[in-house]
Amino acid sequence: MSFQKRLSSGEFVVLAEMNTPKGVDTSQFLGFARKIKGRVDAVVVPDMDNGIMKMSALAGGVLMQQQGIEAVIHVYSRDRNRLALQGDILAAHALGIQNLLVVCGEDISCCDHHDAKAVNDLDEVGLLRAIQTLEKGTDLAGMDLNGSPSFLAGCTIASCPTEQSLEEEMEKARLKIATGARFVVTPPVFDVAQFEPFLAELKTLGVPVIPTVFLLKSVGVARYIATNEPSAGITEDLIRRIRKASDREMECVRIAGETVAALKQKVEGVRIVTLGWEHRLPAILDCAGL
Amino acid sequence: MITAERKPMEEIIGSVSPYRRILLVGCNECVTVCAAGGRKEVGLLASALKMHFAKEGNPVEIEEVTLERQCDPEYVEELLPRMDQADAVLSMACGCGAQEVARRYKEKPVFPAVNTRFMGASERQGVWAERCAGCGNCVLGITAGVCPIARCSKQLLNGPCGGSTSGKCEVDPDIDCAWQLIWDRLKALGMQERYEDNIPAKDWRTGRGGGPRRIVREDLAS
Repeated sequence: MSFQKRLSSGEFVVLAEMNTPKGVDTSQFLGFARKIKGRVDAVVVPDMDNGIMKMSALAGGVLMQQQGIEAVIHVYSRDRNRLALQGDILAAHALGIQNLLVVCGEDISCCDHHDAKAVNDLDEVGLLRAIQTLEKGTDLAGMDLNGSPSFLAGCTIASCPTEQSLEEEMEKARLKIATGARFVVTPPVFDVAQFEPFLAELKTLGVPVIPTVFLLKSVGVARYIATNEPSAGITEDLIRRIRKASDREMECVRIAGETVAALKQKVEGVRIVTLGWEHRLPAILDCAGL
Repeated sequence: MITAERKPMEEIIGSVSPYRRILLVGCNECVTVCAAGGRKEVGLLASALKMHFAKEGNPVEIEEVTLERQCDPEYVEELLPRMDQADAVLSMACGCGAQEVARRYKEKPVFPAVNTRFMGASERQGVWAERCAGCGNCVLGITAGVCPIARCSKQLLNGPCGGSTSGKCEVDPDIDCAWQLIWDRLKALGMQERYEDNIPAKDWRTGRGGGPRRIVREDLAS
């Protein structure tokens, strides 16, 4: 069953993020994907994730499809203007990609090509509107298309450390949903109990909520996130748990798996992000009982 | 200078129509030079608005004031005694000026009466043209004093595109091809060999690539 069908039928969906290579050697990318084939509903392929120049998400998504793995590709406006975005969206459909995740790219100053010029021709809502417009059979200039695409488009919501930011983010999410986003992906969840009030808000959006489960990897990563994003929900207990473990890596995998399992009763799906540790995805799924 | 053009009257009327007491603020700097928002234009706009709303049976009070520089907090402070009597501010300065007023008087709605266009120079009476894109890393020294960032439609750094015809740009025959101008200047200066220089991809960090920019002069900052 496709990701879209599972989502609309209310079944729990599992998405795993896989980054494209920085280069043309796709063997590792495809190898990791094969190991989770049949165990996840779709693979999410980011585009220049964290501002690192890599093989495009469109190519990565097509490579996944060729392996018989459904893909969700990131689309965003930092690097492409409305012509290039629309062209790539048409190409994605023609090449068999059915799912788009509209994201807000990292600022160009944080990229590995920080001397580049950002495009930012459309914002996220503008990009969702472009997808809707193409689906209706015209482009943003009002010209008719020879065959229109169709997608399951989703959006993201940023973390909301304050009440004001929650209000702003929710308003933005409502706008994205009114403009065609049919699911919403959240920032990483480390503490399911702490996530619940935010989840209650998200439920009011009326679309499936897909929280991110992020593999911590080490005490250092956990400490870094806890220090730089106190609202992320990384507690001292969690850091202590990793620190005291005989196999810290495996403990991080267990934490991610347990988080997935705990979320399963509460939300419509999860996106597992391992950021370069895709080889650990099968173990996370094992720990989650998936 | 920063150039601007007055917005269409319908748009200005639409923005201030809910308000009955309007403080119309001009600027004595760039917008005065390009005849968009100086004292004279403030007077003309005030009269036009008064006539429009009076004709509609809904008269407005408009107080006119033109500051020395609307982008400077020191001068914007001069508006303070007039703010109590104003429901809204209509700014005829560039976007920098309008924002400075909005920043200082947070409780007052501020509307722009002009569209800020570009940094340019006067070509002749009544004609201004773009000259600088504020990229933050000036290349005029290697392009014979003609900026390809601001004046080439494609911002090309290594010679013209195929659309350069008889010294004109394919975008508009009224636009000079920047690279033709650069070549002509290099030739006149006897520096044709410079044309062969390979200019590397531009580092845009000094432009908008690095986000909104600031200059901090430690020797001057208080």
